[in-house]
Amino acid sequence: MTLSTSDRSPLTGTTGARAGALGFLTDVSLCIGCKACEVACKQWNQLPADSGTGITGLTGFSYDNTVDLGATTWRHVAFVEQAATTVDRTWEAPGAPGSPTAWLMLSDVCKHCVHAGCLEACPTGAIVRTEFDTVVIQQDVCNGCGYCVPACPFGVPQLGDTDRKAHKCTLCYDRLVDGLEPACAKACPTESIRFGPIAELLPRALDRVEQLQERGVAGAHLYGDRAIGGTGGMEGLNALFVLTAPPEVFNLPAAPELPQRKVLPALVSTAIAAVAFILGSGAALRGRR
Amino acid sequence: MSGPESGTTGGDWGEGRDRRGRGGSGGAASDDAVIGPGYYGIPAIHKPHWKWLIIFYFYFGGIAGAAYAVATIADAVGASEDRRIGRIGRYLSFAALLPSPILLVLDLGRPERFFLMFRVLKLRSPMSLGTWGLTAFGGFSALSVAAQAAVDGRLGDGFVGRRAQQLPIQALGVAGTPLALFVAGYTGVLLAATAVPLWTKRALLLGPLFLASAFSSAVSAIELIVALMPSTPAATRHRLTRLGVSTLFAEAAIFIAWRNGLGPTGRPLGEGATGRVVRLGVVGGGIALPLVLQAVASVTTGGFARILSVVSSVSVLAGGLALRYVVVVAGNTSADDPRATLGMTAADGAPERLSTH
Ligand code: SF4
Ligand code: SF4
Repeated sequence: MTLSTSDRSPLTGTTGARAGALGFLTDVSLCIGCKACEVACKQWNQLPADSGTGITGLTGFSYDNTVDLGATTWRHVAFVEQAATTVDRTWEAPGAPGSPTAWLMLSDVCKHCVHAGCLEACPTGAIVRTEFDTVVIQQDVCNGCGYCVPACPFGVPQLGDTDRKAHKCTLCYDRLVDGLEPACAKACPTESIRFGPIAELLPRALDRVEQLQERGVAGAHLYGDRAIGGTGGMEGLNALFVLTAPPEVFNLPAAPELPQRKVLPALVSTAIAAVAFILGSGAALRGRR
Repeated sequence: MSGPESGTTGGDWGEGRDRRGRGGSGGAASDDAVIGPGYYGIPAIHKPHWKWLIIFYFYFGGIAGAAYAVATIADAVGASEDRRIGRIGRYLSFAALLPSPILLVLDLGRPERFFLMFRVLKLRSPMSLGTWGLTAFGGFSALSVAAQAAVDGRLGDGFVGRRAQQLPIQALGVAGTPLALFVAGYTGVLLAATAVPLWTKRALLLGPLFLASAFSSAVSAIELIVALMPSTPAATRHRLTRLGVSTLFAEAAIFIAWRNGLGPTGRPLGEGATGRVVRLGVVGGGIALPLVLQAVASVTTGGFARILSVVSSVSVLAGGLALRYVVVVAGNTSADDPRATLGMTAADGAPERLSTH
């Protein structure tokens, strides 16, 4: 079975994480979909329950009743159903009832990008990089301008319905300073979520990918290095993932870009247009004095 | 990415679900969405909360900046009988600028914390740059309008009036114009520097597009005021029309380049109510109709020509607002479409799997 392009890329397995950076490694092949991480996160961070949809609070289209990351949901377990079509373990959308089905469960989270779109966008400086190389929104500074929301390539931060400030995963900053691991990693019964220094998590992730591929899971690959996920100027993510299907299956972009890469070129093109308009206006308005 | 083979979807709810999974919002047929990118059609990124307050800010801020620039240029190269262009431009700029900070502060989730914008200056954050740029430009616009009012004898002969008369109106204009142009155009850069497909796909053209629209709106507003003033020399009106028509052509060219460059990402601009506003408001009302009216006006004379010119100006002004509206609204629609987001961020080799149609 072919290896993915990412495995052939010289960027595979490299990130720009700073020395001592801490982060997550979330392994889709180990997740059993128990949502202990979601619950532990809400408990530790005192986040209210999601009201869900409708009277039941159930989506009705999957076991995923959480649906998305948001202001009060900082871990989200995605549930993907796939039907087996061929022996070489190529999977596609669910087949007829009764046909063999595979489950993919993935606990999504803020990626704590090495270069973070949310952080660079924030006009108040509310979003900071911590001593652990994680990305945190200071709640006493945020004024709810909302610019970080569309500036995140992964759809993570969101303004709270009640306090109108931006919220997202803090990688349990308040636990890290006391030497504790984040609540979600602590609660995960299968070690699908691991916490630790990126310098340790990265080789572990690569080993795991190799192991899965040897076992015949052809689509196994790392997400969050410079080759996939941490692309486009982000220089990698401090929340790494081992995926067994294309990232898009989990709503993750394969090759996202740091939005701020566009700022300087766009300012230059706008300045050129401005000069053209000045000259044009001068020509049109010119008259005898 | 050729390797991870299984192009699948989370399910056959390909589209039309909002992020809380609530039912379909219409949308195209989902046959092709059964096998497509994404997860139950749930948006892959979050859209901003920006609505009318921001749309109006983009519009007024643009007019304020462009009117200031036009006033400075008219002072510098205009004929002596065109003085009124500079005068009107300065008043107009200040009047359009006044609501801008109010709109911006009201749009914040926590308006009482607006001042925290002034904690930092971040060169890679267009919103931070814009905060400082708008503030600095506000200073220039206020000084210029004070100088103008003093020259016009509106500030009296007291201490303030005499001081204001000494202000170097032309030098202020020259110094403030770069900031004015920045204010007129940076809003396009602000949108371009996000993950929203429709804003970031042709990032280089959004700033110039907003700038062009700011110029056409500002010139039309000046034309409108001039047309309503008695005793404006025909030559002045003629030169303003010449400027207005050429800005409209420039705006049309940039709009077409932007719209075509978007490819399938630009689909929200052609569909439903937004599509109608694009066709009737931006293109029809904002560009085509005024050009036709000005062409007719150029071969007629007297009161009729003046009426045509007034209608044309109003039409351009409405089109400028329509442009800001459709860019914001269609951008939000594209942010809600995981095919647009994931198609744009697909790795090499996967375009067919992730085609946005
Ligand atoms: S994933 Fe989004 S919210 Fe998290 S650090 Fe990166 S840009 Fe910021
Ligand atoms: S909403 Fe808050 S955290 Fe987000 S960019 Fe604005 S000030 Fe910064």
